[in-house]
Amino acid sequence: MTTDTIKKQRRGLHLGNRFRALPKSARIAALIAFVVLLYVLPVKGFYENLGLPIPAGDGYLPLYTTRSDMANVLFQCGYYILLALGLNVVLGYAGLLDLGFFGFFAVGAYTVALLTSPDSKLITEYNWLESPWPWLVTVPIAVALAMLSGVLLGWPTLRLRGDYLAIVTLGFAEIIRIVAKNQDWILNGDRGIPSVAHPPGTWSDGSPIFGIIDWSPYYWLVLTVIILVIFLIRNLANSRVGRAWVAIREDEDAAELMGVSTFKFKLWAFAIGAAIGGLSGSLWAGQANFVNSATFSLENSILVLAAVVLGGAGSIGGAILGGFLVIYVPEWLRSVGDVFGWPDSVEVFGVHIDVSPTSLRFVIFGALLIVVMIYRPQGLWPNRRRAAELKDRQKEVAPVE
Amino acid sequence: MLLEIEDITLHYGRIQALHGISLHVNEGEIVALIGANGAGKSTIMRAISGLRAVSRGAIRFNGEDISKVRADLRVARGICQAPEGRGVFPGMTVQENLEMGAYIRRDSAAIAQDMERVFGLFPRLLERRKQAGGTLSGGEQQMLAVGRALMARPKLLLLDEPSMGLAPMIIQQIFTIITEINQQGTTVLLVEQNAQQALSRAHRAYVLETGNIVKEGTGAELLHDPAVKAAYLGVA
Repeated sequence: MTTDTIKKQRRGLHLGNRFRALPKSARIAALIAFVVLLYVLPVKGFYENLGLPIPAGDGYLPLYTTRSDMANVLFQCGYYILLALGLNVVLGYAGLLDLGFFGFFAVGAYTVALLTSPDSKLITEYNWLESPWPWLVTVPIAVALAMLSGVLLGWPTLRLRGDYLAIVTLGFAEIIRIVAKNQDWILNGDRGIPSVAHPPGTWSDGSPIFGIIDWSPYYWLVLTVIILVIFLIRNLANSRVGRAWVAIREDEDAAELMGVSTFKFKLWAFAIGAAIGGLSGSLWAGQANFVNSATFSLENSILVLAAVVLGGAGSIGGAILGGFLVIYVPEWLRSVGDVFGWPDSVEVFGVHIDVSPTSLRFVIFGALLIVVMIYRPQGLWPNRRRAAELKDRQKEVAPVE
Repeated sequence: MLLEIEDITLHYGRIQALHGISLHVNEGEIVALIGANGAGKSTIMRAISGLRAVSRGAIRFNGEDISKVRADLRVARGICQAPEGRGVFPGMTVQENLEMGAYIRRDSAAIAQDMERVFGLFPRLLERRKQAGGTLSGGEQQMLAVGRALMARPKLLLLDEPSMGLAPMIIQQIFTIITEINQQGTTVLLVEQNAQQALSRAHRAYVLETGNIVKEGTGAELLHDPAVKAAYLGVA
């Protein structure tokens, strides 16, 4: 029986095992090649040199990439991947259900907007600042404030277990959005904060690197940040902190009986997750130029959650895959739709119904999530340990002989 | 006296689970708490290990009142519990579970030595070293829970229902090992429904009924007490 189960586990991780069986030099070479590939993804010349057919018009390659500029989509994928990595620490590692993760993104984005925009009320009305600060200086502040809000939110709630936390975090994200929408004294409601600064730097011809038309530099920036964050998270997961998280997630009482300060480590997970969420928000604000409350709707929190669960909670690869899929697939479907003449809206009994893949993405992901949860509950790229825990829990619910 | 509990009460919400319990454990003893379901045995364990706060009374360990000390800090003082229902970490391997037991320690050489000792006590765990905790059988999980608690090098080992759900042969085995652990110098407080085994192994024992201690004595005394015999040993 045991060899049988081991065989089954092996089959599930076939690709991973084969990769791990390669000599170390080959693995490093493959990894470097993959990272280089990621960096050249938005470069048009890369596709031209591949000899793939290039369609007329402004699009790249509908079937391979997307209708819109590849760099735009990749940048969006990037900051969602970062969000998914942050939520993965909270949900995947420590097992805490955070339904309002986008709230930390909002804290990061608004911090950057308030400190870097010349139209910020901190400058125009309150005279707190004499002039707008550069973007780069505000990023650490945004990260710190997001982390602080994570600690403030976690302090009273992490002593509670289970569902309470989900409800409180859900409330947190909504409070931020609604306050931002309705008050006027600092965040400007729906009118928002314009002229948010971009990251620094100019090309040799004097034009800014981080401009408005070409999004590739933003993508390269977010990709670099993602790589750094992955190193950070991997080291954390393999440390004493990481082991404490696993113990808390698997059995909180038992963890406490082993001498793990559960509250402290849950708070750490929350703070680190929040900081990564805030970092994502500050990167996004550096590109978006304009920040208002409409950006922070609840659907975003749900989408990040879907990304983590779909990819496989507790696995870095899973978070990346999930974050990529939730943004990329709808964009890709839209470009495929264009090729086959899928309409953006249909008329049924005189009513126009929006059927573009972007607006249908919640339907698509709702259905996809159900399918994945039935056939692959551990996620598309699961963590070995999480998969075993899930099996254990299933055994408890419905024992099979 | 290693552990001294004085007049503790404990509430779950508005329900009072313990009504002024007093008991003590001397260094080097095996002390058993026996009683029916819902008598409050596990609640006493939770009060000692700190998973539940007492409403009143004192819990003195080595003479110091620890009733306000956090659970994770009580482990550092030398109290370690193998939780009821085993509570092994299902996704961690046997070895990782044992390493987790030594979480508060940093003396890696001595930890490795203790792991050898646990494998010596439970050879089955050595065979299953790389297997996930959740895939073990009930008896193996119980062995793992006891072994894991030993890894913290406790002065006082708390065992909550070590025989629950196990086959008679394995119960026998577990209790033999508990005696062995005790002879190697660890004081043991255990909660049991299997009164026969518990009383014949324990130096002293307490009988618990609905949150009150109704009897105490040496294991042998209680084993031959007519009331205990009728209520817990199934002999008239």
